[in-house]
Amino acid sequence: MLHSVLLKTLRDTRRALAWWSLGLCGLVSIMVAVYPSIRDNASLESLIKDYPEALKAFIAFGGTVDYGSAAGYLGSELFSFMVPLLFLVAAIGAGARAIAGEEERGTLDLLLANPLSRNRLVLEKLAALVVELAFLGAVLWLSLAIGTALTAMEIGLTNLAAATFAAALLALLFGVLAVLVGSATGRRGLALAVPAAAAVAAYLVNALAAIVGALEPVRPLSPFYHYAAGDPLRHGLTLDHTMALVIVTAVLAAIALPVFSRRDLT
Amino acid sequence: MTTSEHSAIVQARSLTKFYGKDRGVEALEFSVEAGEIFGFLGPNGAGKTTTIRLLLDLIRPSAGRIEVFGLELRAKPALRRRIGYLPGDLRLYDQLTPRELLGYFAHLRGLASLGTATDLAERLGLELERPIKSLSKGNRQKVGIVQALMHTPDLIVLDEPTSGLDPLVQQTVYDLLLEARAAGRTVFLSSHVLPEVQHVADRVALLREGRLVLVETVESLRAHAFNRVEVTFGKEPAADAFAGIAGVRELERHDASVVLALEGEADALVKALAEHHVLTLDIHEADLEDVFLSLYRKAADAA
Repeated sequence: MLHSVLLKTLRDTRRALAWWSLGLCGLVSIMVAVYPSIRDNASLESLIKDYPEALKAFIAFGGTVDYGSAAGYLGSELFSFMVPLLFLVAAIGAGARAIAGEEERGTLDLLLANPLSRNRLVLEKLAALVVELAFLGAVLWLSLAIGTALTAMEIGLTNLAAATFAAALLALLFGVLAVLVGSATGRRGLALAVPAAAAVAAYLVNALAAIVGALEPVRPLSPFYHYAAGDPLRHGLTLDHTMALVIVTAVLAAIALPVFSRRDLT
Repeated sequence: MTTSEHSAIVQARSLTKFYGKDRGVEALEFSVEAGEIFGFLGPNGAGKTTTIRLLLDLIRPSAGRIEVFGLELRAKPALRRRIGYLPGDLRLYDQLTPRELLGYFAHLRGLASLGTATDLAERLGLELERPIKSLSKGNRQKVGIVQALMHTPDLIVLDEPTSGLDPLVQQTVYDLLLEARAAGRTVFLSSHVLPEVQHVADRVALLREGRLVLVETVESLRAHAFNRVEVTFGKEPAADAFAGIAGVRELERHDASVVLALEGEADALVKALAEHHVLTLDIHEADLEDVFLSLYRKAADAA
């Protein structure tokens, strides 16, 4: 398990990943278990219909709030907030540990005395982040697949995969931002704070743009918009929104490499 | 390129590093030749660790350059395969055992096995199976030394290697360095005191406030050796009492206690002392640290 920086990083995170998986399974179990009673509760649906628009904007996924359908329910209860939140916390934490964590613990000097270029180190750390998110995505998808099958929710496995993929991609973007800030500064606190603040801002911009017309022009700047706008639970992935997230993530990663290579280690 | 430049394993040219306005090191010029043990001395804060981290390409020079094996490491990180490094501020992966850590680094360095690590650990008395977080400072230092030597590197760079080690283990470390030299490998060794390295080093360099003040062979230090004469008088002698005596220099004076450096025969000094009321008299060979510092003062006076 200690054959490369990638494998070492995954090994270090194995316990945390197990806990995250447990949390995701638990969350999905609860949400899926209560679905039948919510679906059959007509008064709840009319209650939500009367929610203020501002509130609906925060629980909408793919532009709608619809507790009557499986896609609408999972979108509002899981994918509008909880899933991105959990994925983001995991991704930003891992991204901040990647370079800045090693640097603050003081192990980076020793690691980089090995025949390993700085680019290679950042790339392996990024690869570890991708694998971790892929793992969490797989856990989420699997629990959803099992859960929806057990409760006979009408939703396709492909669409569940699409939404899970979009959430993982969204989290990867902010995780890579954490790697970038850590690569540039070597400070873990900053590498946590900057992407966290950026994610909150992006979330608010996307949610508020639904009700505040003035925000509409800047909405495409929010990764959350590209995450949800295509309504992946109903329509699967859309190329342009997915590409937007992929490109921004790739650009952030591409900046991290030279920035780290040029810097003095602390 | 001349032949001497060609054989240099480490070559610093006008090497300068500033941290903002703070001086790290300035205009360092030195080379470390193949097969020598090079002692890099200076008080804490003189810039030893800065120089070593520049050598390893962990930080970048503000001006000048430092080459290893004739190249800048930045251009070819793979050269680190031929370097073993022990940081001054050693931090290890606490959750691993020494065997796991050494295995990890063995993989990163492309070794098929633990290399010589098991033998080294045995010689240093290091147990490989206990988690690093439970190890004492001395045992952690041993892990650092083993990882620096395990891949039989051509250049061994050690920043204060014997800190935290008991004298017996220190001696083992020096033995290992002497064996490396005998095999034609090169050692760059930092320390804040000369006595620690004078028995193994071929040449020593002294760094003061970021500048290299002296590079000398240990042999020539020994040639400049002198006796240190410490005399306590009944009353303080005149300021120029020992000026002009052949082979004698006054080093220090605290009221009626005077320390003199004596080169060559003692006769003239003994006759001069006879004119004073001498309470105590102690003559012993100065250690190389004193020789070194007195050479440094001469160099500073000449400059």
